[in-house]
Amino acid sequence: MFDSKLSLKNNKTLLFGIFESGDHALDTTRKVYEKGVDIIDCYTPYPIHGMEKAMGLKRSRLPIGAFICGSIGFSLALTLQSFIMYFDWPIIIGNKPYVGIPSWVPVLFEFSILCTAFGIGIMFFARNKMIHGKVPDEIVDPAQTDYRIVLAMSLDEEGVNKDELIDLLRKGGAVEIKERVNHPSDQTFTEKVLN
Amino acid sequence: MSHHSASIRPRLVSTDKSLADVSNDICRPIENKASTSWKVGFTLAVLFLGLLGITLTITTLFGIGTWGLNKTVQWGWDITNFVFWVGIGHAGTLISAILLLFRQKWRMSINRSAEAMTIFAVMCAAIFPLFHMGRIWVGAYWVLPLPNAFGSLWVNFNSPLLWDVFAITTYFSVSLLFWYLGLIPDIATIRDRATTPARKFWYNFFSMGWTGSTRTWNRYEVVSLVLAGISTPLVLSVHTIVSFDFATSVVPGWHTTIFPPYFVAGAIFSGFGMVLTLLIIARKVMNYQEYITIGHLEAMSKVVMLTGTLVGLAYITEFFIAAYSGVEYEQYAFINRATGPYWWAYWSMMTCNLVAPQVFWFKWARTTPWFIFLLSIVVNVGMWFERFVIIVTSLHREYLPSGWAMYSPTWVEIGIFLGTFGLFFTCFFLFSKFLPVINMSEVKTILRDKE
Repeated sequence: MFDSKLSLKNNKTLLFGIFESGDHALDTTRKVYEKGVDIIDCYTPYPIHGMEKAMGLKRSRLPIGAFICGSIGFSLALTLQSFIMYFDWPIIIGNKPYVGIPSWVPVLFEFSILCTAFGIGIMFFARNKMIHGKVPDEIVDPAQTDYRIVLAMSLDEEGVNKDELIDLLRKGGAVEIKERVNHPSDQTFTEKVLN
Repeated sequence: MSHHSASIRPRLVSTDKSLADVSNDICRPIENKASTSWKVGFTLAVLFLGLLGITLTITTLFGIGTWGLNKTVQWGWDITNFVFWVGIGHAGTLISAILLLFRQKWRMSINRSAEAMTIFAVMCAAIFPLFHMGRIWVGAYWVLPLPNAFGSLWVNFNSPLLWDVFAITTYFSVSLLFWYLGLIPDIATIRDRATTPARKFWYNFFSMGWTGSTRTWNRYEVVSLVLAGISTPLVLSVHTIVSFDFATSVVPGWHTTIFPPYFVAGAIFSGFGMVLTLLIIARKVMNYQEYITIGHLEAMSKVVMLTGTLVGLAYITEFFIAAYSGVEYEQYAFINRATGPYWWAYWSMMTCNLVAPQVFWFKWARTTPWFIFLLSIVVNVGMWFERFVIIVTSLHREYLPSGWAMYSPTWVEIGIFLGTFGLFFTCFFLFSKFLPVINMSEVKTILRDKE
């Protein structure tokens, strides 16, 4: 789940295939994944439908967390309302019972929704390690949030045929192929364009 | 990418655009200097915002006595405007949440601005009940369950007015979250295109380190779906609860079970009216006709017609049920609406909301922007009158004729109302200058799609 290999920094040699068409990128990613190459990530300017399957990603489990947050919100709202209306300061209002469950429903509902939404929002940001002001460390190409799709692969694993992979990318319609070598000692890297 | 669509349908983005074209077109207003029309519009909006500041200061200094309310008509323009603005907000969530669940792809080029509208409209709405409470500086204790030294004097969870507090605050914050989440990828696009250090810094700050990673997108899509799923009942609940403010009372004219669905339909109706008003101008001024096409306007016109008819049905049902109930107070309330001293408000409402949208049965009316624009104004006016009719005509006749009264607003109330338009448009102008009005990352997925 929290695989450190998924970060660009934690790999020695990396290969980037850069595309300008979503369809080309999707087909190539599928082929690369079938070859068993380590795909670190694919950076896309828009959500490409099917890309997560092509990369072999599983569906996120965030909805489970959202349900838990919603349940917590529900319990909190129930506790608060019964504490105020029954335990702490019971007041007879219009001869209605102290515990008026039907009239508590709107606040129960709204508070559960509030906690679900903010729960899943906060978990989403935490899971992606997103925070205000963070400088993104994985911008391979400045246009990857604009019109280019970057497929990032690791060449560290044994048995990866680099030339075959480059050929696959080229045939798949990559407009640029780059190789990056990381130097962990001084946190720098060198890049060369292969096509 | 491949999916089946009928070839006779018009395309969602009318011309051939590449991914780069979309970014260039939509970032243009942000990356270029502000146009003269923007400056003029913004200045005008800020002037009205100033009016809001003045009138609210007067209200705070001298109290609610500066308004035209009296012992009989305790709710006037304030609550009318509150319901009016909350209603306007509803289109945003409807477009972004309900149309997402229904997989309606035409939502993608209008959802961003409609959601922004939701947030600004709810901000405007919140002003009215807050200031109507009187001493605003102790307002937090009146609306929120905060421990205090008065007893403890808690809020009353049996009151629909308190439910409204929870509904509106939840609606505002969840809409804001949903809107911001949708903005992050686009903010990152602007960040990576930025040429000035200030722009780079601020867009970097708000983009939260977004890289466009598929792993992130994968979770993002799930989160969007969950938020859409919970926003749908939320948006329906908000106006339902607003209608409870009236429906749970025993005032003839308010005490009806039809209110929740009727208010929700009215809210969507007025919301789409406002979306059309804004977008027809925006698409022209900002040159977005290829993204917000006639097809979009037509689809929205259809929604306006449907919800207008639903609202009209509710008006007639209300009248019928009052007659059929045999309760003379209910019967009087409705006859008085249509023929009493506020007859002009009632018939303006009927004309604008029930009759006028029927022109959208004709294709010409649905596909002619200037005509849709005129009609959207009519819808806005009509929906304002609806709230005025419900509130003022029901209140101004008491059970005892000695309590009968008339109501008209003072300049302070009119100033606050006009001022909220100032607030709304100031926010909207700032939004259109600093943030992409169209969701770039979503539009990029539908470049070759048909409706």
